[in-house]
Amino acid sequence: MTFLQSIFRQNTAWRWTSLVLRVLLGVVFAYSAYAKLSEPWRIFAMDIEAYKLVTNLFLVELIARGLPWFELLLGLWLISGFWLRGSATICALLLTFFIGMMVWAQINKLGINCGCFGSGEKISWLTQLRDGSLLVAALVLAAWSHLSRRSPQPPPAAPTPA
Amino acid sequence: MKVFALLLAAFLPAFATNPAVAKGQGAGNPSAPILIELYSDFECPACRAFHVDMLPLLLRDFVNTGKVYLVDHDMSNHQHSAEATGYAFAAARIGKYSEVANALFQHQGEWSQNGKVWDAVASVLSAADQKKVAALAKDPSIQAEIKTETDDGRIKVAQTPTMIVIRSMRQYRFVGSPNYDLFSGFLNDLLKR
Repeated sequence: MTFLQSIFRQNTAWRWTSLVLRVLLGVVFAYSAYAKLSEPWRIFAMDIEAYKLVTNLFLVELIARGLPWFELLLGLWLISGFWLRGSATICALLLTFFIGMMVWAQINKLGINCGCFGSGEKISWLTQLRDGSLLVAALVLAAWSHLSRRSPQPPPAAPTPA
Repeated sequence: MKVFALLLAAFLPAFATNPAVAKGQGAGNPSAPILIELYSDFECPACRAFHVDMLPLLLRDFVNTGKVYLVDHDMSNHQHSAEATGYAFAAARIGKYSEVANALFQHQGEWSQNGKVWDAVASVLSAADQKKVAALAKDPSIQAEIKTETDDGRIKVAQTPTMIVIRSMRQYRFVGSPNYDLFSGFLNDLLKR
């Protein structure tokens, strides 16, 4: 057992921290999904298309209609705490992808909406700081869930000959 | 009854069109089901792209067909845009707003570099109209209008061009030039509601 594993497994504060983090991330993802689903899907589609990474309108529509539902499921999955390793890892990967897209848009000076929580929010250092903070939370949660796994039990000792 | 009157007085301003907007800057049927408020700047390159690529389609499909009332708010956030806006507002007073606005966007690359805004404006006006516009552009009421439009715009939008689409008290914001196929589909969906 490594030092980190012992901290993550034994410290009660870490257990509470992980509970807070997964509920926080879950609520944020569920709210993000709600904000998109409560508007016409074409608004989110325009935000996606504005990044100019996906130009095929069929794919844009597929993402615009599918991603909010995926975010909602991920949010509920995180809140449930079921197989946290999986949900926290997917959450961290998704946030890394989102931040990467925002940085790409900033570098290319696209001056577009981020599409994070519905329409009308322009990409700025604030949106990146917010998503960056969420990514840190997701990484901590993923690390906690991976390191706090029960290490495999040592094989039973061979019977000693009488 | 008093309560009803008070409520009416409170909500009436929300239904009124912006009084600061010159007549030449509203296009289409004022009682159209959708109102689009466009915040733009004559010197911003993204606004030029919007004006050249998207606006003609929007006018053809929605404004000229009476489905959308478009109100253009010209802001002055760049070096020469206040001068350009002054000429456009002056031209609006003699019914030549569209001509001057088109010329300003068409020649934006030139006058934004060399500062010769008047050359672009004069190219689409007769000698008589040139005199009127040049005189009107110096009018204090035009300068006040430019300031009001810009100050109002800075409160409402973070960048240009921005469209605020209003339908039945709901607002949707679009920054830059959205994909026209998606945007027209969105407007058609709004019209069906």
